[in-house]
Amino acid sequence: MIDVRNVCKAFSTPDRKKVKALVNFSTQINKGEVVVIIGPSGSGKSTFLRCLNRLEEIDSGEIIIDGINIYDKEININRIREEIGMVFQLFNLFPHKTVLENVTLAQHVVRNRNKKEAVEISRGLLHKVGILEKENVYPSQLSGGQQQRVAIARALAMHPKIMMFDEATSALDPEMIGEVLDVMKSLAREGMTMVVVTHEMGFAREVSDRVVFMDEGQIVEEGTAEHFFTSPVQERTKLFLSQIL
Amino acid sequence: MGILAIIMASAYYFFSRRGITYIWHWERIPEMLFYYGSKSADDPTVRLRMGVLMMGFMLTLKISVFSIFFAIIIGTIVGIARLSQEPVTRGLSLSYVELIRNTPLLVQIYIIYFFVGTLLRLSAFEAGTAALSIFAGAYVAEIVRAGIQSIHKGQMEAARSLGMSYAKAMRHIILPQAFKRIIPPLAGQFISLIKDSSLVSVIALADLTFQGMQAVARTYHTFEIYFTIAFLYLVMTFTLSMATQYIERRLAISD
Repeated sequence: MIDVRNVCKAFSTPDRKKVKALVNFSTQINKGEVVVIIGPSGSGKSTFLRCLNRLEEIDSGEIIIDGINIYDKEININRIREEIGMVFQLFNLFPHKTVLENVTLAQHVVRNRNKKEAVEISRGLLHKVGILEKENVYPSQLSGGQQQRVAIARALAMHPKIMMFDEATSALDPEMIGEVLDVMKSLAREGMTMVVVTHEMGFAREVSDRVVFMDEGQIVEEGTAEHFFTSPVQERTKLFLSQIL
Repeated sequence: MGILAIIMASAYYFFSRRGITYIWHWERIPEMLFYYGSKSADDPTVRLRMGVLMMGFMLTLKISVFSIFFAIIIGTIVGIARLSQEPVTRGLSLSYVELIRNTPLLVQIYIIYFFVGTLLRLSAFEAGTAALSIFAGAYVAEIVRAGIQSIHKGQMEAARSLGMSYAKAMRHIILPQAFKRIIPPLAGQFISLIKDSSLVSVIALADLTFQGMQAVARTYHTFEIYFTIAFLYLVMTFTLSMATQYIERRLAISD
């Protein structure tokens, strides 16, 4: 479903040094697969995710999603992005819109759904993430965990084929991480294709089909959660796991 | 209003102590605002009519409203253009802002009236409105640009990741939030615009200042008329101040 081939991406720092974020990065993600990406900060995990819906431009290589090269100049990237939901570390809810409006807006202006249908879909999703009673509240009145669940509902409202989570629980108070992870887990069990950047090893162990460990813009090691946590091969992986577990 | 009264009273006291003899004729002011009677032989109907100062007030109000409207349009377009990826668009919008901000409004009014106005056959009102709109538009552009840049970039990313085009994201997500934030500086800019509109009197546009100067020349009631003019400008700017504060409070609901 997603085919990433030899992607290179470097950033320029303010002092004009080049920092390599992705180095000849290649991987495939299949339909229905839940891939968890872990690694130290600055290893290129988030950059990889942001390349998958072209929030970043790449220097070389290609990313094919459902047979379409998303870095092709001819394609309309907005059509691609409709199919890829993204959940951010800092939620990025629209603060001037109510919870319900946050979820319905893109359905109106992107999917052209009528108001009644959009509201119906939104209510269903808000119910699913357990926050329907707050539909007329503004995001600033919600806790972090509640905001993130709304953000998940907002992404799901587009009926995406792929969901991406960019450290979705990293900015949350510890007692709110669970409620967001629960939503993500139920999504995984429903067969959603998911690419998840996270530091939650419990989540990786429980629901992932594959764990990818990245460092310095490359895949160091990948495999099933069981392989990964019980018998890692690479020294770098062992070192990382010993530090976080 | 109270402060104005105090200033006028102390000015009166100061002048009388200095021995300047000035005979106040405040009783002549009301008829410059409203009077009951006929205008001329062509228009002999006797009714309540606007006096010269009130006519000037209405023209100043009209030119200010038009100019604010166009300044918002120009400023929004140029403000977005200032942030364009396209170097030509960015360069042109920056040139406009720099050119307008770094030359005097009075000179711009003359150029637009005498040069552009002659070429395009603009009336004094059109030329005056154009000059004020273009002038204020440059300042509004910078305010809009700063407002857009103050919105966290995650907002644009969230909107784009939902499949919204740049234009849709701007319209539904970025601009509404930016406008809310820039209401205070915008209000300041539009208050300046109302006051700066007095400069259009130089192209014989019968605004409040122009009508006042004419009335002074006719009656020699210099002090009364200028105080009245100042008060009438204050009515307009103060109303605008109050209106923007009301809008600000209304928009603060989602905070």
